[in-house]
Amino acid sequence: MSTLLEVSGVTVTFDGFRAINNLSVQFAEAELRAIIGPNGAGKTTFMDIVTGKTKPDEGSVIWGDKNTSLLGMSESQIAREGIGRKFQKPTVFEDQTVRQNLAMALKNPRGPFAVLMHKKTPENAARIEEIATEIGLSDQLTRTAGELSHGQKQWLEIGMLLAQDPKLLLVDEPAAGMTVEEREKTTDILRRAAETRAVVVVEHDMEFVRRLGCKVTVLHEGSVLAEGSLDHVTSNKTVVDVYLGRAHA
Amino acid sequence: MQNTFIARNPSVLWFLAALGLFTAIVTLMSEATGVGLISTSFVKTLGKTLCLCLIAIAMDVVWGYCGILSLGHFAFFGIGGYAIGMWLMYARTEAIVVPNLMAQTIPPTPQEISDAIGNQIFGVVGSSEFPMIWGFADSLFLQLLMVVLVPGLLALVFGWLAFRSRVTGVYLSILTQAMTLALALYLFQNDSGLRGNNGLSGLQNIPGFEDTPQATISIVFFLASAFALAAGYVFFAWIVSGKMGSVVKGIRDNEARVRFLGYHVESYKLFIFTITAIVAGIAGALYYPQAGIINPGEIAPIASIYLAVWVAIGGRGRLYGAVIGAAFVSLLSSWFTGGGAPPINLGFYTIQWTDWWLVLLGVSFVAVTLFFPKGIGGLFDYLVRKQP
Repeated sequence: MSTLLEVSGVTVTFDGFRAINNLSVQFAEAELRAIIGPNGAGKTTFMDIVTGKTKPDEGSVIWGDKNTSLLGMSESQIAREGIGRKFQKPTVFEDQTVRQNLAMALKNPRGPFAVLMHKKTPENAARIEEIATEIGLSDQLTRTAGELSHGQKQWLEIGMLLAQDPKLLLVDEPAAGMTVEEREKTTDILRRAAETRAVVVVEHDMEFVRRLGCKVTVLHEGSVLAEGSLDHVTSNKTVVDVYLGRAHA
Repeated sequence: MQNTFIARNPSVLWFLAALGLFTAIVTLMSEATGVGLISTSFVKTLGKTLCLCLIAIAMDVVWGYCGILSLGHFAFFGIGGYAIGMWLMYARTEAIVVPNLMAQTIPPTPQEISDAIGNQIFGVVGSSEFPMIWGFADSLFLQLLMVVLVPGLLALVFGWLAFRSRVTGVYLSILTQAMTLALALYLFQNDSGLRGNNGLSGLQNIPGFEDTPQATISIVFFLASAFALAAGYVFFAWIVSGKMGSVVKGIRDNEARVRFLGYHVESYKLFIFTITAIVAGIAGALYYPQAGIINPGEIAPIASIYLAVWVAIGGRGRLYGAVIGAAFVSLLSSWFTGGGAPPINLGFYTIQWTDWWLVLLGVSFVAVTLFFPKGIGGLFDYLVRKQP
């Protein structure tokens, strides 16, 4: 499988603190990957770099078939390149309906004048229905997003990511604050999404990672500590020491 | 398409109907075209109020919908006023000066005519030279273009610099206020080319209509203001509905989310900031011929703050809220400060409303912000929704 995103030798320093230290990691097209690591391991900073929010001091971030560098692109350009990001806290537009939220995310021209002249089309409406069904909100389309439950908001945000039709989805702690049934549903949505695109899940919760059943990358002090199946990394002594050991202490 | 837009926004029709009814009543009551129950000066007050409503909806779009608390939109309003004022003053002075010069035995040279007009206009600041910015003052068409272009370009450049650097929130408000203050201070200078603190005056006299009574002129401007407000309302209602409205409100509620959806947030902010600045300029160009005079004091930061207060009291994020707030507060303000409200004698102290009105306004603003964030317009929503 060809490489979709290649991060190599990236270093970021905040006021002398090395948040990311010579980090190199690769993602293939259509794969599900979990990134775990203790607090301060650089998980969120990694997402900030890929999505253009933070500029690294060194290293390169290479994207797609054409090997484009993502460094120097703005957040919105990177999003249009096909990288979607879900925040840890559910971030949907609470004043607007579920349909409006999804319509805004749908892959369509993003310029102000195109948006001003935008007309509703049957294709877009069908796509919205399709995504709403996928995330289990098809009977909630006319509701205001602010009225949804916590779990539904998380799904709506994942739905907005799917509507963008990205090649890579970066998902930050999707299961936080969810009930067991909600977690199962979230796992299903992410697994299905990973059939056609790359999905990278940053997660704290080992149970959730186990349920995803995918390749795991362990971050520690800003670089990759171990990579492989969950069983493989959890049997690694250093991983147990820095992360699991501490978590279970 | 127009049908579906109106169908989706029934409040637009209600607003147009109410505005039409109000306009018809005022026209029928005025001195020029009706029974004369409404004085010419009150027609002017109402016409000016409509212009304030127009800038208030612009403010509501930029602040209430897009979340940019601009404390500089009155500067754009003032610039619009100055732009039209330059033509009004030039053309009127020319109409008075030229026949006098022509009456002399030796016909005047163009330079003499220019000097005589310049002397009339700039004598008050000790000059008779036409500054460069008056280069187009003899052309109504070009000055009308200035009404739109100058505020638009200023907003475009200022907005581009500010938004590009991701200046947001209170810092942006301070920056817009600084821009307004700088502009007002510059205009206060005698060598600014716009007559310093004297400002431009006699704007109520429309060149070419010297023989038309003010009663008629006032009703024409009143109707023009009403038309501009109606057009502005429909235009902004269209902008903030549909997908554009979704994105703009999204920027207000969560800028980062919109950015990560792939929208270039800065372009949208710049678009909204500039388009509202242009409408503010148009509102100013209609306002000042009714006010008769414009001076730099009008642009002072306090005016833009009042604008924000009107929109807050009327209810942010709903266009009719801005109209209600601007009309209600500005009319109430002229009633209180114009001696309309009787002083209250407390025995030991007499409340003079000219002094205490600002206190009342300030308290209302704080009360609305704390307890009724949806303003008067929110009350309206509540009443409408209560019906089945």
